[in-house]
Amino acid sequence: MTKAISVMVVDDHPMWRDGVARDLGERGFDVRATAGDAGAAVRIARTVTPDVVLMDLQLGDESGVDATRQIVQDVPGTRVLVLSASGAHSDVLEAVKAGASGYLVKSASAEELVDAVNRTADGDAVFTAGLAGLVLGEYRRMAAAPAEAEAAPKLTDRETEVLRLVAKGMTARQIADRLVLSHRTVENHVQSTLRKLQLHNRVELARYAIEHGLDAE
Amino acid sequence: MQRSDATTPLWSSVAILRLVTFGFAVVAVFVHQDRYQRPQLAWIVLGLIAVWTAFTVSAYLMKFGRRVAVVWTDVAVTCALMYTSVWILSPQQMEDIAPLITTVWASEPPIAAAVLNGRTAGVLAGVVVAIATGFTRGALTTDVTRDAVLLMGSGFVVGLASVTARRAQERMAQAARVEAATAERERLARNIHDSVLQVLARVRKRGNELGGEAAELARLAGEQEVALRSLVAAAPPDSTDDGTTDLRSRLQVMETGTVQVSVPGTAVQLPETTVTELTSLVSEALVNVARHAGDGARAWVLLEDLGDEVVISVRDDGAGIPAGRLDQAASDGRLGVARSIRGRVADLGGTITLETAPGAGTEWEIRIPREPGGRKARHRMGGGR
Repeated sequence: MTKAISVMVVDDHPMWRDGVARDLGERGFDVRATAGDAGAAVRIARTVTPDVVLMDLQLGDESGVDATRQIVQDVPGTRVLVLSASGAHSDVLEAVKAGASGYLVKSASAEELVDAVNRTADGDAVFTAGLAGLVLGEYRRMAAAPAEAEAAPKLTDRETEVLRLVAKGMTARQIADRLVLSHRTVENHVQSTLRKLQLHNRVELARYAIEHGLDAE
Repeated sequence: MQRSDATTPLWSSVAILRLVTFGFAVVAVFVHQDRYQRPQLAWIVLGLIAVWTAFTVSAYLMKFGRRVAVVWTDVAVTCALMYTSVWILSPQQMEDIAPLITTVWASEPPIAAAVLNGRTAGVLAGVVVAIATGFTRGALTTDVTRDAVLLMGSGFVVGLASVTARRAQERMAQAARVEAATAERERLARNIHDSVLQVLARVRKRGNELGGEAAELARLAGEQEVALRSLVAAAPPDSTDDGTTDLRSRLQVMETGTVQVSVPGTAVQLPETTVTELTSLVSEALVNVARHAGDGARAWVLLEDLGDEVVISVRDDGAGIPAGRLDQAASDGRLGVARSIRGRVADLGGTITLETAPGAGTEWEIRIPREPGGRKARHRMGGGR
């Protein structure tokens, strides 16, 4: 094995944060830092440039969405994996649009977490069934909203098919078998659905900033 | 009490009206006293009117007068005082339609009744005072009729205003209660997230790693964690005025350790009855999974809104139904459920398909067409930002 994957854990609850950090440390990850709030998360991430940031979205009164956006923007090469409670739907969708590479529920097992961090570091998208349902819903919402439909990105038939299967709980391997595709192709389809959404989000933000005369930072 | 608060401005108006009209009564006695047949009685009655004015004004301003007994006593006393005109006014004055001793002062009780109990009470008190006017005059003249119409009219209009004021206040109070409840819910959810859930998640994780008895404790903690999470995550059922409700929140609470529910980020509005039926169909399908798919089988529910139709998929990774065993499956009750579900989906105008293979689990797909006009509701954001 080459260099260990470096990780940063962001969660406002010390018990959970330290537990996750210890679990990952025991499994050979290089836990560079932890942070308990959004501001610290962005500052520290800029300095330590970890490969993967594990981001909780409910940081006390703050949201991890903006921290996610900042980190993705300021720290090239660092990927954000959202590790949050299930049910925080709008937040998860916003974080993913802001550039997070994936989403894992906190109830996931240690093996699932390790696997997810590895895949995130490799540049793959980590999708739970729940996230796939949200992303699918977001594409359909945009397609149906008259004001957005024209500029909005669209899914290809194959991407829709793959996302639906992910949303029904199938693994990339199972999907590849069912659709007679390579595992890599399935991963690419999933990633492409995220990338289009993130690109659209950046364009929208920039356009909003120009229209409202704001400095786009 | 909130109830009296909404009408407080109206009660103040009643008191002002009584004071102003008392002034009229005083002036009337000064102007007409020379021609009264009993001027002394006029001054005595005016004294009584003054006393009654003082009493009713203070009674209505301070809340103790705002009740049926006081208001209807007011009606009775006012009518009685009015009737003394029979002995005060000379026959000539009666003929000339000189003002009765009470003058417009007598117009106040119907308004008080209207403020207290609404338009019916207002009109009723107006009728009583009008009849008293008629008796006092001893004839049904145009004047009496006009008074009657005005009295009943003011009772009606003020009654309407008072009911509207009260309703508006009730609505505001209700809105404030809902807002307070939502805020409290959010506060609780935040607290639960920050404390209990973190501990439960940690217990589950650590327990699983330790294994043995600790793993059993971890399993229990995990179940409670998932249950608590869906409890705080599920928005309160938000039926809208158009009789539709969000199918998402009903399905989301079905999430357990072995069942995962995927939904879109926006509300999926469907008629209340359809939502209830679909909810029960999905939970039956999940019961079916638990019963037949084998130990450790997991299930996934996916809800999709395609605009003109809504699709629900229920998939499990259990044993599936082996080919050629459909007959046996039918006899052991497994397809009985399928058949009943199929009938109910057909009742909703939808279709259902079942895919299964041995070892590959089963997958139900329910498609329900959305009624024309239902599409609008789709764009309502649900709990989003």
